[in-house]
Amino acid sequence: MSHLNVKVSDIEQITEYVKHFTFVSEDGENLPSFSGGSHIVLALNINGRIHRNPYSLMSSPLHTESYGVSVRKEEMSRGGSVFMHEKIEVGSRLQITYPVNLFSLSKLGHKSILIAGGIGITPFLSQIVDLNRTQSDYELHYAYRSPEHAAFREKIQDMSGDRSHFYVASDGQIMDFHTLLSEQPLGTHVYACGPEPMVNAMIAAARELGWPEKHIHNEQFTAPQIGDSFKVKLAISNIEIKVPSEMSMLEAIEEAGIDAPYLCRGGACGRCELEVVSCDGSIIHHDNYLTDAEKTGGKKIMPCVSRAKCQNILVNL
Amino acid sequence: MERQYWIRSKPIYTSLLWYEKATAHFVIAEGDGGMAVLKLLQQKYPAQIVTGFFAKSSDSLKDYAEIISSLAPDEFTVFSNADETLKALKKSLADCCMGTRFYVAGSENFIWLVAKQLYTFGVQDDDIDKELSGTLARNVYCVHCKAITKNVHHDIASCEGCHRKLFVRDHFSRRLAAYMGIMVDAEQPGALPTINEVYP
Repeated sequence: MSHLNVKVSDIEQITEYVKHFTFVSEDGENLPSFSGGSHIVLALNINGRIHRNPYSLMSSPLHTESYGVSVRKEEMSRGGSVFMHEKIEVGSRLQITYPVNLFSLSKLGHKSILIAGGIGITPFLSQIVDLNRTQSDYELHYAYRSPEHAAFREKIQDMSGDRSHFYVASDGQIMDFHTLLSEQPLGTHVYACGPEPMVNAMIAAARELGWPEKHIHNEQFTAPQIGDSFKVKLAISNIEIKVPSEMSMLEAIEEAGIDAPYLCRGGACGRCELEVVSCDGSIIHHDNYLTDAEKTGGKKIMPCVSRAKCQNILVNL
Repeated sequence: MERQYWIRSKPIYTSLLWYEKATAHFVIAEGDGGMAVLKLLQQKYPAQIVTGFFAKSSDSLKDYAEIISSLAPDEFTVFSNADETLKALKKSLADCCMGTRFYVAGSENFIWLVAKQLYTFGVQDDDIDKELSGTLARNVYCVHCKAITKNVHHDIASCEGCHRKLFVRDHFSRRLAAYMGIMVDAEQPGALPTINEVYP
């Protein structure tokens, strides 16, 4: 995959846990165009090992002289966000992928309802620019833990005015999806990004009200989780790789020099899907891509986020 | 009709079944689609509000208007033709909310006239349940002269615009509500395969 070389031109502390990074192209040219909801994958060299983390672009699609991403510091994760917070400085050089959009607004929609929880607000910031530009009808509903975690609230109020609604959990304000999704005009689409329970509650409410599936959208990037180490054999390349507990299967395959396909690295897009030939244990699926039947079937795995609890797993790669 | 492969634009029609999860139900049927309405009315009746529009058609084998009116007089309005039905539909849709399920039955031509009206309100193809009733007759769009020949029952049709003999394909245009027709004897003019009635 081809990469873009960028350097960090600005870093801003937004809240206690959220930092905003601005990237500019190393050669001073504009970065590639993108549509609202797109993300990029950052390659981070942490102690000689390449971590690749996806982040939503939250800068304006109209201004590609720079890209903006926000990173929430996750202490209990594998270190990518902590590295971004503690090691990346203005002037740091990074490699990013071209933008990919797995969370685009439906062109057939007549109205959009955007639902964000916490750091899940990021993809909506670029989408709002597109919605304002096309003078589309929308509502933004943004929930966060407490007033000091209200990342980008002022910016959103400036951009969206009374289309934006805020819910502060510490003040007991919670979103009532049933009310929110009731009596919306035909042609409305709902988009959610945030913690899994919130997204699932939205989907359940929309289905209960009889919303057709094509009108319900969500983006849930899952970070690869720590787990037991296991061995993966690649049937076509004919090699055996050990997947350590703190590394994803995809990362281990890449480190062994195999050019495996990937796009989102968050269990959302399906690009990295591998066929499982055999497994002497069970697969632990963490993705949001495979259907429940496929997960139970045990013939497919998304190596970007999923692992296996076994001694050996043989995949067709 | 083609085997071994599937043309993705070929619409899929099913038997209408009420959705359990819905905030309202809207049934729009024409002519022989009355049978699909009767089959719906035989199922467990939904808890939510049902609105029904029925268009009479001179092409139908049986007039279902009276039976429908006697079974569901409060829910169903009978119109004398498809045009009136579509006009009334346009008015009603402005008041519909998300969660309204749409059920359409009738000739292929009628189904897609309704679908086109629904599109203008942001209702997508996949959101609409469709039951094809009465006839498999196709509208055929001539790729050579752009004319549409209606009510084609055979696998090879004579174009009403340019009189070419057209092979009727499965490629379907939702915008035109018609299948693609391509000149069948271009290489050897006049050399026609056997013509069969396949869309009775």
